[in-house]
Amino acid sequence: MDTNKILVAIDGSENSKRAVEYVADIVKGCRDFDITLLHIERLPDRDIFADEDAWKKACVAHRQKIESFLSDNKQMIADYGIPQKRVYTDYVESCHSPLEEEPSYCSRGTSIAQDILHVAEKEHFGTVVIGRRGVSKAEEFMFGSVSNKIIHSGKDCTVWVVQ
Amino acid sequence: MSETVKQILDRFQSDPYMGRQGKVYTDTSDFMRITGGDVLVFGDGHYLVLRDEVERSYGVEDPKYWVKRCRHLESGERRLLKLVFYEKFILQMGDIKVTCYRSPRKEARILGLVRGDSRFMQGFSAEDEKGNTIRVLDVVMGKRLDNWIYKLDVDHKTYFFTYLPKILEKFIGACEAIAYLHANGEKHGDIRRDHLWRETQTGDYVWIDFDYTFDFHENPFGLDVFGLGGLLLYIVGKGFYSRNDIISLFGDENKAPDIEPKDFLLVFKNRLANLHKIFPYIPKELNWVLMHFSAGASVYYETVDEFLSDLRPCLKKWGKKQ
Repeated sequence: MDTNKILVAIDGSENSKRAVEYVADIVKGCRDFDITLLHIERLPDRDIFADEDAWKKACVAHRQKIESFLSDNKQMIADYGIPQKRVYTDYVESCHSPLEEEPSYCSRGTSIAQDILHVAEKEHFGTVVIGRRGVSKAEEFMFGSVSNKIIHSGKDCTVWVVQ
Repeated sequence: MSETVKQILDRFQSDPYMGRQGKVYTDTSDFMRITGGDVLVFGDGHYLVLRDEVERSYGVEDPKYWVKRCRHLESGERRLLKLVFYEKFILQMGDIKVTCYRSPRKEARILGLVRGDSRFMQGFSAEDEKGNTIRVLDVVMGKRLDNWIYKLDVDHKTYFFTYLPKILEKFIGACEAIAYLHANGEKHGDIRRDHLWRETQTGDYVWIDFDYTFDFHENPFGLDVFGLGGLLLYIVGKGFYSRNDIISLFGDENKAPDIEPKDFLLVFKNRLANLHKIFPYIPKELNWVLMHFSAGASVYYETVDEFLSDLRPCLKKWGKKQ
């Protein structure tokens, strides 16, 4: 575990933007910290589209939106005075992506939380940061909660939950 | 020149057809126009439309214009045809709103996956000349399981000790069927009481209607697991029990047990989950499974396997007692 490595999981939402801002604000005066913005790709469900072309278009649009979000947030961190060379982005593609790429590691789609923790463990991140939207008990049961799963399953790392 | 309905019927039916003779359709896109007396031609089959399917709820009939009750003219057998209808709608579950979609592609894929598996409705998909995915379904000869249970004319105690062990055994089989879907990356999508049927001849349980889908990322099978919990509650209780039902059951509010909000379901807050309070002969182990779906629960089932690993021992223990 490297305490100078911070992994911020983002999903393109306002909550994840807040998490990035929080980390930038905390780290701005400190040297030697590396920040990685991680996105685990979750493509729109193919079954909700009438045909493959419509699905592919939605997948491309999703990817562009997240890449733009990553780029904007990388710049935002730089605006806090943190050197760009200390900020990385990692986009983990879905194994079911139709966009014809063969990544070395892809997300199988069963649990975003487990994918985040896999990256954290593999790359020895000391801190995992995630935004939280705040769900009811019933919503957590039905839809699941990434932040709760990370809190319960994370090992050998500190977890920051930004609400 | 293509055949008329009359020519097709004369060719396939020995008895004269006395109903409306409509049009022949090879493109089913405009399903609202297709009605009784029309013939659909696609794949290798001819299907005489008898009428639109209707869903009955609280005595009200709601027509499903995209589902046609038909006769397959080659075999003379009844079939249900589900035509392509895309729909996005909000499903209200207690305080929660879930965005659902109707997906012909999903249902067609699952029909292929469960071909020959009697735990699921049977059928196949075929495309019409415009590429619309039509699902051709065998008609399940039976009744909704919940209706069958409701109409068993016995009190709860008799039901519980006489009927429930066998019902529970079969229900576990139905849950295993859902686990099989999940293991193959599929979800049922709409597990509710009217989608589990009991075949009259065999007594087997059959899942129907797999065309709902939704976009959950962290807990893709959560809604299915929740649906199974609701079904189990109905099966064990021989119905659902609201606060008023409980008072009626005991005849007097003062005689009714003390029921707290945490005893009710987490999502449907007017359905008692803690059935042990009103039926004390329900074993604690079985009640424990139900309590995972209650407002008082702190741990939930995330998978059908977790649910079954608690439910199966209830049946085993029961078997030993009897």
